[in-house]
Amino acid sequence: MAAPMELSCWGGGWGLPSLHPESLTVMAYAKFSGAPLTVNVINNSWRAPKGDVPVLISEDIVISQPAKILNFLRKQKYNADYELSAKQGADTLAYIALLEEKLLPALLHTFWVEAENYCSVTKPWFASRIPFPLSLYLPGKMSRDALNRILLTRGGPPLYSLTEVEAQIYRDAKECLNLLSKRLGTSQFFFGDTPTTLDAFVFGFLAPIYKVCFPQVQLQEHLKQLPNLCRFCDDILTCYFRLTVSGHSPAGQDTADANLQKLTQLVNKESNLIEKMDDNLRKSPQHPPRKLTTLKLAAGGGQSSPLNRLSP
Amino acid sequence: LFLSTAAEPWPENAALYQQLKEEQILLSDNASSLAVQAFLQMCNLPIRVVCRANAEYMSPSGKLPFIHVGNQVVSELGPIVQFVKAKGHSLSDGLDEVQKAEMKAYMELVNNMLLTAELYLQWCDDVTVEEITHPRYGSPYPWPLNRILSYQKQWEVRRKMKAIGWAGKTLEQVLEDVDQCCQALSQRLGTQPYFFNKQPTELDALVFGHLFTILTTQLTTDELSEKVKNYSNLTAFCRRIEQQYFEGHDKDSSAAAAARPAKRSLLR
Repeated sequence: MAAPMELSCWGGGWGLPSLHPESLTVMAYAKFSGAPLTVNVINNSWRAPKGDVPVLISEDIVISQPAKILNFLRKQKYNADYELSAKQGADTLAYIALLEEKLLPALLHTFWVEAENYCSVTKPWFASRIPFPLSLYLPGKMSRDALNRILLTRGGPPLYSLTEVEAQIYRDAKECLNLLSKRLGTSQFFFGDTPTTLDAFVFGFLAPIYKVCFPQVQLQEHLKQLPNLCRFCDDILTCYFRLTVSGHSPAGQDTADANLQKLTQLVNKESNLIEKMDDNLRKSPQHPPRKLTTLKLAAGGGQSSPLNRLSP
Repeated sequence: LFLSTAAEPWPENAALYQQLKEEQILLSDNASSLAVQAFLQMCNLPIRVVCRANAEYMSPSGKLPFIHVGNQVVSELGPIVQFVKAKGHSLSDGLDEVQKAEMKAYMELVNNMLLTAELYLQWCDDVTVEEITHPRYGSPYPWPLNRILSYQKQWEVRRKMKAIGWAGKTLEQVLEDVDQCCQALSQRLGTQPYFFNKQPTELDALVFGHLFTILTTQLTTDELSEKVKNYSNLTAFCRRIEQQYFEGHDKDSSAAAAARPAKRSLLR
């Protein structure tokens, strides 16, 4: 807890702190668990790491994959899962596997393989954040890696052409989104009222699909038909990332945000405990959870209207 | 896709194809085949196991096992479950939507972690490759075809491992992943007889296939099976399914004969 921690990751746009699913997952987890991370957005300089993003640097330790970064944060006592039961921890692993197997191929496809999307949105965005002349090579390499991964994991016979593989992976992704929506139901987060590792992963995968404006958007349209998942993303963005409609959060507010965040979490936890005690005393479950009111206090009325947030 | 066959009942001569039991079949294929056999037993659908050296090439998707029912050929557990459902048999009808989502998620967990770990062990761990995989995989074929085929397969699997980021893992890390997966399965199973309490589902069949194979297959080291043995409810689960669905059948479809020659039976 003493050593400062720095996270290098891809930056954001369209109202998101980052466009890259893995970077977004780590950032969300850090917010949920209250870990004080300084986020270094990869910009147009040679010093920033290019491969294996996101990267966490703490003193001399360099850690690169999201799962390992989250493990490290947990060892440093920043644990968003300590209230989970063993079975819920097992469910977390299972749902993360579902995301990786069923949703990730379509996500990679939308960003990196779909020709119109890649040429008009993804490539210019990434190329502008990578120094020349690496910007000529690296986006293409990322695109080839994505296609490779899709074909190797999903592209065996009897699907012989890329269009058949594409159809299959989008079907799987839509089914996965439906399953997530059913599992989330009407609750605030996946395991009750406090966000956990699973929420970080789901948010990391869903938010780019939800917010980034592509020419070819079949996955986004499907996601918009699942209002509880959209509400889930928007809630996390307003409450934990304090993003306004127009764009990124101002850089200097990070420490104030972290303090306010911790305070909010404490207030939320206290009100949860009080409610649990109330429920036990009354022995009847007729009071609906009042979590939204406490979140309103922190976010300053950010729950007003979902319509504002759809504009890029 | 399967609507046309929905009307036909399950024939008596349905067959499941896999590689040769004693000499050729590998850990991961054995696990997948056993999972399908367990699933069909749980649905009470008769199937006989046919071993062919070229089963992998006969399969429509290149993956094993595949079943030949009437005039349909279906491979891999996922499509087989759907096919059987189109014929009117299903193990997961009693589950609600959230439970079905959970079941699918856990099946992906097994595929993502256990199956990939088995593939890693077979094809990326040099000791195992040299001593077990290469001799077994090409054993029905004469030299040099046997070496060529197994090198080709190894190259394919290693490419896939690299694409999903497993190529950089060490054996210890892979075993840790297996342990994590088993821990999750053990915690989910708890003290229940099956994953969704009283009735087995395709998840139980899949987990049984993989865990039983890991427990009863002799490899160069015992580390993999030790990881599973750490969780007593998982070993009890395997024993229970073996006793309930595989005892008292003829040798061909028995789970005990499906593992490799030097196996250790759970019951002894």
